[in-house]
Amino acid sequence: MNELSQNIRRIALVAVWGFLLMALVFGYWQMVRAPALRAHPYNQQAQQRANSIKPGLIYTGDGELVLGIEKDNEGWQRTYPAGPIYCHLTGYNENTGLQKGLREALLGIGAYQNRWGAVGHTEQGLDVVLTIDSKAQRRATKLMEGRRGAVVALDPRNGAILAMVSAPGYDPARVMESQMNYEMFTNHPASPELNRALQGLYPPGTVLQIFVAAAGLDTGVATEQTVFNCSGTGQIAGITVNCSKLGGHGRLTLSRALADSCNIAFAELAQLIGPEQFGSYAKKFHLLDKPDLPLPTGQGKIADLIGDDAETELIEAAIGQGATLVTPVAMARLAATIASGGQVIQPYLVDRITRQGGKTVTDNRGGRLRAAIRQETAQQVAGMMQVSVEEGSASNVALSVCRVAAQTGWAQNPEGKPHSWALGFAPVDAPQAAVAVIVENTVPGRPAAGPIARQILEVLVSCQ
Amino acid sequence: MVIVAAATGKPLGWAMRGLTPAGVLLVAVVLMDLVEARRDRLLLPLCGMLCVLSIVFLTRTDAFLATRQLIAIIIGIFLMVALYFLIEDIRSLARFKYLAGLSAIALLAATMLWGREINGARLWLSIPHLVTFQSGEVAKILMAIFLAGYAADYRQMLGRRGRGRISIQTPSLRSLAPLLLIVISCLAIFVGQHDLGTAILFFGLFVTMFYLATGQPAYGIAAVALFAVGLALAYQLFPQVGVRISSWLNPWADPSGIGYQPLQAMFCLGEGGILGAGLGHLSVTNLPAAAPDMILVVIGQDLGLVGSVGVVIIYALISVRSYSLAWQATDRFASLLAAALATVFALQTLIIMGGVLRLIPLTGMTTPFLSYGGTSIVINFLAVGLLLAVSRDCVPQPEKAR
Repeated sequence: MNELSQNIRRIALVAVWGFLLMALVFGYWQMVRAPALRAHPYNQQAQQRANSIKPGLIYTGDGELVLGIEKDNEGWQRTYPAGPIYCHLTGYNENTGLQKGLREALLGIGAYQNRWGAVGHTEQGLDVVLTIDSKAQRRATKLMEGRRGAVVALDPRNGAILAMVSAPGYDPARVMESQMNYEMFTNHPASPELNRALQGLYPPGTVLQIFVAAAGLDTGVATEQTVFNCSGTGQIAGITVNCSKLGGHGRLTLSRALADSCNIAFAELAQLIGPEQFGSYAKKFHLLDKPDLPLPTGQGKIADLIGDDAETELIEAAIGQGATLVTPVAMARLAATIASGGQVIQPYLVDRITRQGGKTVTDNRGGRLRAAIRQETAQQVAGMMQVSVEEGSASNVALSVCRVAAQTGWAQNPEGKPHSWALGFAPVDAPQAAVAVIVENTVPGRPAAGPIARQILEVLVSCQ
Repeated sequence: MVIVAAATGKPLGWAMRGLTPAGVLLVAVVLMDLVEARRDRLLLPLCGMLCVLSIVFLTRTDAFLATRQLIAIIIGIFLMVALYFLIEDIRSLARFKYLAGLSAIALLAATMLWGREINGARLWLSIPHLVTFQSGEVAKILMAIFLAGYAADYRQMLGRRGRGRISIQTPSLRSLAPLLLIVISCLAIFVGQHDLGTAILFFGLFVTMFYLATGQPAYGIAAVALFAVGLALAYQLFPQVGVRISSWLNPWADPSGIGYQPLQAMFCLGEGGILGAGLGHLSVTNLPAAAPDMILVVIGQDLGLVGSVGVVIIYALISVRSYSLAWQATDRFASLLAAALATVFALQTLIIMGGVLRLIPLTGMTTPFLSYGGTSIVINFLAVGLLLAVSRDCVPQPEKAR
């Protein structure tokens, strides 16, 4: 009898362990995996419930309503109070733009759902406050009217995106009004749906000289006073490089070469840097990275710079042509890196997410990555860009009240007229904004991007 | 329960309705106490809690089923009290062991041959125009009586631990034959009834009783390994018997077909989170067979992890209490009977929970006292009646403090 009792106790213990395991597995599904299960695309119940949730709103950093709501017979519908100004941010339905990228936050589901269940449960989404500055965004939209291209402005201190405009834009409220509108919109030859600021891939042309100069100075193969000889055209590593100035600049320093956007000097500088270092600096600058944003982004490209034709590829890359393609946001990041003394910033768009009524749920202050170059190098390049504004090709970016560092340039376009670029930041001593502007297919000789960059800096920067 | 209902507002009526089984049970307890108050005092309140939960959550899922369930509970309590009084001494039940065993086998065999298949498992037996019932539920209690009686009488035949200091017995054909028979008959249940749950339930019961009778875990472990291999082979040979196994192995392969039910169960549990979505707050129309198979998931969604773990604790307490009656019982047959009933109860609950939580394939068995099913309710109350009789007749009561 004693032995039987003993064995029954053992069996009971096994059962208790079994129940304990069940409690733990309930915990796994209901606590650990709950957020993922709630946001799962196969979870139709949750999807349907999402339709009855009052979705959150999107505001700019200075409080302008970007994405609104109104109630009709079918439930909550989106409104676009600012029309086309923020079209590439909002998108035109729940599957585009930030409506897609921030879906969980706007509906208060998934990672943003209350873990505790019924307690404090609300059928309301969360509001999103962007980093966008409405004045700069409006100015940029106006300046880009009738053109194709993009504007990106960043705060070089933290990476906040202050303006992001892609032209042509569209009125999000009208796209879904009728099937015909929608078809006209998607088939439009100028691709208004494409967000050129993040997805557009352009040859950087001569504005990439900022990067080449920074790499050259940082490796120590050249100084600001290193002298190059430009004869207007030259055979370098087997390819013909032409300078924008017919007949050449003659003998000129690196500083002067940047101010005059001299291709030949920079092709020679790139040879001094060498393909290996060139590629490594492209990585350090995060020149080709997709930024981590809740919107579709493009991936920059550069030749692999290895093998027999590495030298040729290097020269093409250095003058911003060939296989090299970059996004406008990456160029704005390049300007911001120089502005912040070599610190690479992580661009971000969402400043904070708040409960309807005001309590902040999460906020985002961006992040600084590793420095790409030494601070002295960044200061030297900034000085050269300032020379470029004050006595060089970027004079059209100059502000009367502030000292500006900038570089403007052209990018040859195999399919048509060249693109006009401008990169810059201001004020030089304590930069508050960095901007990149590209205008597609401009008339050669009439730089379009520079004046736009100037006017956007004018809105964003205040100097005593 | 009332607090939960009040907190969520609308379903106060559900809670009131849910208290009906508690009231009926109270009347039954008072009635039993008038005759003889010396018996276990813990099992009935715990089972009553489960019945209250059952009525509340069935009302929330399907009010019609809840009414039928209420009737089943009342019948179950009535039959339990009747059985309790009918058995004058639990020890006398041992006389019926062969009758019980043969009936159990006949029931299982009849189900394999003429059973009705619902949701890929053949669990129901139907006597036309009279009654449809889950034969496995009835068979399990009969089998418990048989095994307890058999093990109590024939301990010597099944082999006994040697008296020597180190006793490594060579496995005799005598002790191996019953085990092989167990493995084969349980595999037959799996292939014949298309149901893994019933197969595991009976196998677990057999192996547990074999262990209790012989005190030798080694044979049991060997049998478990053999059974696992057999199941895998049977699944390979007859893939059609394992719809629920395929949906368990990879529900994502067919999320709107065979994978639908397990995935929806996961989503409902996730929706519940820690404190739950609130009683009746969210619809469960997406959850197939919520009332018979998935009532635990409905509770998990409405009451959250707190509710799920609460239910697990109630089941664990009932199981431990039943086992403790078994180890306290002074009679060998009564002790083994209580252990067998406790094993059936605990194992069935664990199989259902494991299925719901995707640890093992989902089965068509019922959750004792909780899920919709008249057979299940009545049989589980009868099992409790037997346990109460064991506690009345064979468990020495502690001296009352004066």
